Amino acid sequence: MITVSNLAKRFKMAKSHKLSDAEKSDTRLHDGYFHSVTDVSFECEAGQVLGLLGPNGAGKTTTLRMLSSALKPDSGLIAINGVDVVKKPLLARKKIGFLSGSTGLYGRLTARENVEYFGKLHGMNPAQLSSRIDELFELLGIHEFATRRAENLSTGMKQKTSIARAVVHNPEIVVLDEPTTGLDIMATQTVMDFIIRLKAQGTPVIFSTHHLDEVSLLCDKVVIIDEGRSCFAGSVEELLQHTNAQNLNQAFISVITQKPSAAPLVTPIANQNEEA
Amino acid sequence: MWQVYRKELLELVRDKKTLFFVIALPLVVFPILFGVMGFVMANAQISEEKKVHRYVIVGAEQVPTFAEQLFYHKSFKKVDLAATDIDTATKAIRNDLIDVALIIPSDHQQQMANNQQSQWQIVFNDAVLTNRIYGRIRDLVVNHSDQILTERLSNLGVPLAQHNALIKPVTLAKVDTADQRENLGEKLGGLIPYILIPLCLVGAVYPAIDLGAGEKERGTLETLLLTPIPRTYLVLGKFLTILTTALLSALLTVGSMGFWALFMGSIMDIKPVHEAVGVIGLLDLSLILLLLIPLACIFSSMLLAISIYARSFKEAQNYMAPINMVVFIPIVGALVPGMVLNWGTVFIPIMNVALAIKEIIKGTVDYSMVGIIFVTMTTIAVVIIAFSIHWFGKEEVLFR
Repeated sequence: MITVSNLAKRFKMAKSHKLSDAEKSDTRLHDGYFHSVTDVSFECEAGQVLGLLGPNGAGKTTTLRMLSSALKPDSGLIAINGVDVVKKPLLARKKIGFLSGSTGLYGRLTARENVEYFGKLHGMNPAQLSSRIDELFELLGIHEFATRRAENLSTGMKQKTSIARAVVHNPEIVVLDEPTTGLDIMATQTVMDFIIRLKAQGTPVIFSTHHLDEVSLLCDKVVIIDEGRSCFAGSVEELLQHTNAQNLNQAFISVITQKPSAAPLVTPIANQNEEA
Repeated sequence: MWQVYRKELLELVRDKKTLFFVIALPLVVFPILFGVMGFVMANAQISEEKKVHRYVIVGAEQVPTFAEQLFYHKSFKKVDLAATDIDTATKAIRNDLIDVALIIPSDHQQQMANNQQSQWQIVFNDAVLTNRIYGRIRDLVVNHSDQILTERLSNLGVPLAQHNALIKPVTLAKVDTADQRENLGEKLGGLIPYILIPLCLVGAVYPAIDLGAGEKERGTLETLLLTPIPRTYLVLGKFLTILTTALLSALLTVGSMGFWALFMGSIMDIKPVHEAVGVIGLLDLSLILLLLIPLACIFSSMLLAISIYARSFKEAQNYMAPINMVVFIPIVGALVPGMVLNWGTVFIPIMNVALAIKEIIKGTVDYSMVGIIFVTMTTIAVVIIAFSIHWFGKEEVLFR
């Protein structure tokens, strides 16, 4: 189980940085900082798939990067099965599997070497690593191209290898940042199957996406982030009910356009007292 | 850390570009380049040596013996051309009819008879650096002039034995205390760091870009940061990889230069080369390498820090041009005549190593200076590595 509460993160703006009009009008830009995430909270239980939704620039990637310990939050709490990600990042990293749409592979290493490298960095012993890789490669159908260099693989093959890389160390939770962006239908299906498999194993999955069909197919829970704060958290049904919408598209738009009026179903309730 | 090191090396070995810069450049490309350069230069010299100059003497009848000498000289060929003064001679040279014209004053014999000085004029194109026209004519004229001098002195009744004492009452003989090694070291010693130090840099540049900005561009950096390896180890692993290629590049250069020098020396039987390589002992070589290690450390850590900062390959490459300048200026500074290793220059990074290498090759190095350089350079290297590690921990650098 993973708990995220009152997460906030700001980035210092370089003085020379020229701002576009859209950036200037963003309310999150003040006192020389861009307050990318101001207040994000949610929970994800074992075996749950949580979909993180929000417009571009809402703070989804920043949130997921904090979740995966790449970025350090300014305030707030992240706990994975009781381990504080902020205070013990090295320990937490062993529990997290991370994959994003832009994740690459080392082109001059073979598919197997890519996965092996990360297994070794996670401190797995050779025997354990070898059997785990065989198991994953069997599952994902990587064996046939395991000895080919990553630079010569198709997008789908690369994505399969990236998935194997992300979970080689048996993570307790899996974080995916727009994992299907830029993928074709087959490669997208590989990712979806992978999420379903993780769910069946009881591994919580948190993923951000712009594809609402993926949300309705996979997600037990939806969290909507807008302008750095979580403004809805609940199941897909609850989202539809709450917004009185016919479909997810409408529901999503209605949540975004209604802000910042209180969203009663947000659990835990987001603070509304900032930047009033 | 060693996992990172091993993997980075494996990846680099599989990369043709790295192999080219680190191995092919010093082992094959440079010797060929130097060989071709030497061959072309030697050829130019030989052809210049063999060249026959077409000439015209204005007023040859004034100096029949001299004209005859010139006529039978193997490097000169008389051309029948009615050149009478500087203007016509210049025109003839421009039109490529002759190479040189010698203008003897029409009253030359009169001047001789009156014991006066006679000025001859030589007309030729002096813009060509390698041409020997002036030197050859001058030798002939000096010779001719000496003959006249001898004649005049004899006419004045000076015995032949006293001629030298009269012409040059005082002469200066040179006794050189520098041995051959020191002489050679002064000439060659400046050149070797000029090749070695940039090669250290070249060996580090490509891997550094690949290991820092390359990870960002490929999208592998984020996943690497999410492994439970402290970032210090990630940086050190990468740093050691770059250091390896930098040193390898320099080592291969030294090795290949030594090999080719010995090889060419034995084939062409060039004695000075043989002797030069012979006198630079194993101790000197290891001293040079010892100095190159902290230098390579500085290059590697500096390049890595820049590469980590850059968003992409292209951006990293843009930063490399000023770095090259920063490295080259002190090396060129060390080449300036009169620059020596002293208490001031010993603390100027890069320049101190270049000067020390020169001194080592000359065989006149002060070993305490080498120690100071080693300590200075190592300190700088440690500071930059520490900075790289700090840099690698900063979110605004990693996620720009």
